[in-house]
Amino acid sequence: MEDQKEKRLADIREKLKGLLVENLSLEDVTPDEIKDDEILFGDGLGLDSLDAVEIVVLLQRNFGLEVKDMEKGREIFYSIDTLARYVYENTKNKS
Amino acid sequence: MNVVITGIGGISAAGANLVEILDTFQSGRRNGGSVSLFPTVLTYPVFEVRNIARKWHREGMRTLSLALCAVEEALGDAGLQDDLSGLRVGICLGTTVASQLNDLEFYRTYRSAGTAAIDAVDRFLKGNLAEAVARTIKVRGPAATVVNACSSGADAIGVALSWLRNGVCDIALAGGADELNLVPLCGFGSLGIVSDSLCSPFDRDRRGLNLGEGAGVVILETEAVSRERGIERVLYLSGYGSAADAYHLTAPRPDGTGLEAALRKALAEANITPRDVCFVNAHGTATRDNDKVEGTVLAGVFGPGIKFFSTKGFTGHTLGAAGALEAVFTAAALRKGWIPASIGFVHQDDEISVSPVTEKTRIHGRFAVSTSLAFGGNNAALVIACAENGGS
Amino acid sequence: MNVAGIGVVFTRGRGIDSYEEALRQGWVPPCRVELSSAPDISLPVYYVAQETITDKAVLRRIRRADRFSKMAVLAAWDAVQDSGIVLEEKGSSLGIIVATAFGPHATTFRFLDDILDYGHANVSPTIFSHSVHNAAASYIAYVLGTRGPTLTLSQFAFSFHQAIILAESWLNEGRCDYVLVGGVDECHTVMEYICSQKLAIADDGKIKPFHFSASPSAVPGEGSVFFLATRTNTPKTYCEISGLFLYGDGIEEAPDMYIFDADGMAGDERGYKDAAATSVMIAGYSPVFGSMMTGSAFHCAAGALMLKHQIRYACPVQDNSCGVNLCAVTESAEIKKIWCVRINCVHEKASIRLKLE
Repeated sequence: MEDQKEKRLADIREKLKGLLVENLSLEDVTPDEIKDDEILFGDGLGLDSLDAVEIVVLLQRNFGLEVKDMEKGREIFYSIDTLARYVYENTKNKS
Repeated sequence: MNVVITGIGGISAAGANLVEILDTFQSGRRNGGSVSLFPTVLTYPVFEVRNIARKWHREGMRTLSLALCAVEEALGDAGLQDDLSGLRVGICLGTTVASQLNDLEFYRTYRSAGTAAIDAVDRFLKGNLAEAVARTIKVRGPAATVVNACSSGADAIGVALSWLRNGVCDIALAGGADELNLVPLCGFGSLGIVSDSLCSPFDRDRRGLNLGEGAGVVILETEAVSRERGIERVLYLSGYGSAADAYHLTAPRPDGTGLEAALRKALAEANITPRDVCFVNAHGTATRDNDKVEGTVLAGVFGPGIKFFSTKGFTGHTLGAAGALEAVFTAAALRKGWIPASIGFVHQDDEISVSPVTEKTRIHGRFAVSTSLAFGGNNAALVIACAENGGS
Repeated sequence: MNVAGIGVVFTRGRGIDSYEEALRQGWVPPCRVELSSAPDISLPVYYVAQETITDKAVLRRIRRADRFSKMAVLAAWDAVQDSGIVLEEKGSSLGIIVATAFGPHATTFRFLDDILDYGHANVSPTIFSHSVHNAAASYIAYVLGTRGPTLTLSQFAFSFHQAIILAESWLNEGRCDYVLVGGVDECHTVMEYICSQKLAIADDGKIKPFHFSASPSAVPGEGSVFFLATRTNTPKTYCEISGLFLYGDGIEEAPDMYIFDADGMAGDERGYKDAAATSVMIAGYSPVFGSMMTGSAFHCAAGALMLKHQIRYACPVQDNSCGVNLCAVTESAEIKKIWCVRINCVHEKASIRLKLE
């Protein structure tokens, strides 16, 4: 059970990294180079408020998830890890 | 050289002309509702214009129709409705929607069939706002369409001011117009800055903007030209300031220095100090970022007692028209001697040290300021003044 | 006002030197693209190559910028570099005026794709914000780090003329000390289709500026030109530049050379005949960069180079059925005044005047 969860989380992380690189025009960064716990905004990967709303759209399109409250979004969008966990928790009953 | 305002005209969801609009301001009525102009699943409230004079109806060119309504009112107000020949009349109008080839049905057909009727393109080519207005009222002079996003209307008035000071024309029609359109509605929605309820500029609990539509136009002349026409009671366009944030495509510079620079430039041009300003008609979109930055800058520049308000609660955010409509409202307030309540504001925001006026307020003084902030980090400020002896 | 520096992005490269090289070289065939709507029809287009607008150093901080913005930013950047003038960081002394006929329409159509593919509530905010016409001007200010007035004008034939007139006004009234003023337009598959429907396309890939035809043919182009303008004289000053609307009053004072914007974009070009009827030498360089509503900016760059270097560039396509006095060979020449003339689809005329003082 735990193995399955880890596998699923790893898949989500990989997919998220690919989506970010492709849709946020991240130059000189490959999906592999984004660390799971790297801070996405500000000093980390350098994302900004426009990227944040773009991620909202990516979550909606790719996982059917709605992030309405951007205050809560701040915690979810902290790193690939936190994002993946949010996606996992909110999609585990769907699939 | 003094540049004077001899005519003003406006149309918005608050009314089809200035008399109606000022009446709505007094009554506190808010004409927001769901979208009726096009089908959409989006449920945001919007501010649509209900009555466009039949003679200005132009199929598929709603922005132009709105502009023509305001142009007619402003020309009438300036006593210029008859003969403009013999004068060099410049036309400078701001817009966002009318500058884009964004006809969804044209593109849908093109995408699926590989071809599409070209009439949507023809409408676009004929609909360049300044050129189309110039051809409609048959004037000769420079015509420029300003596409500076949400400060377009204010910047267009600033451009006309430069024209007049430099002798490019004798009279200028300046302002802005925008229709409610699906494309920006979807776009602003995706940015997460559109409110599900009627907007509350500067309020602690504000949740974003409402889109609106409309047009605002001012008639500007050099004082010499207006005197020659026998016009005596005028307002003055005393200063314009514009500054770029050079910060971000969609977010305002958090320290507000771009807006402050625009304000200080406008005040310097008018040769006045912040103390001379009796009220500010703020941009006040009711987004978290805009109102915080703007409120903070207004407090910093004008001090805690500044009287200010946003009319977005009556009109919605009319994009390319906003800066112009608000300049028109500012001019009207100077003429009438009162400013409206900043509708939608209830609770002071702890992050903003000043709050807007909550009721119709009498004003005393000569100078007023209208501010605009835009996508791309454009900031604009206009200083409008009444004559020495105050409003009429 | 004076032209202190020029930046160019066009089909054959980037920079004023590349542009001058192209003017000396003359006509080269455009690329041909198959219309997506009718693959059996190929359309000649002067596209800007992707590598021309790849510049990691300048564009590093604007990773999201689209082609339209990149062309404008690079041309604007190069104009400043060309001038050798060091602008004050955070300064308000530089104004920016961008002229465009069609704006970033490729991005607008990408946004419409989003609406059609994902519905009204699920569209990309990044694409939307780049479809707004002033994105390019905003990026120019951002990359240069300057905070003066920044404005975008959009009309069809005369955007660049309006921009020049406003730049002069801003400098005269002291609103700024320098103005970066330029034009940018892009081509794209939908524009290819529109051009194929609305314009006569030159099958042989040659724009013929001296046919003065009622139905002239075009070869769509794209690119950007910026001028750094200032009132003072600078080490690299090319020439004086000023804009003028003629309202059918004719051209009262003859220059040493006319450059015609006749490029097939605005229909009936018979109106150019009046000016051509004088003995003044005529030139037209649209075949170097393509048909563009903002082509006037490219012509002004050609004129500025000719005045600065005291040279005439041979017209790249010399079909001269009307027998006008056209510039046929590249050679040194004494030139002091060049008027760049454009006539729009309703026969209004405007010129930009370049002078050597």
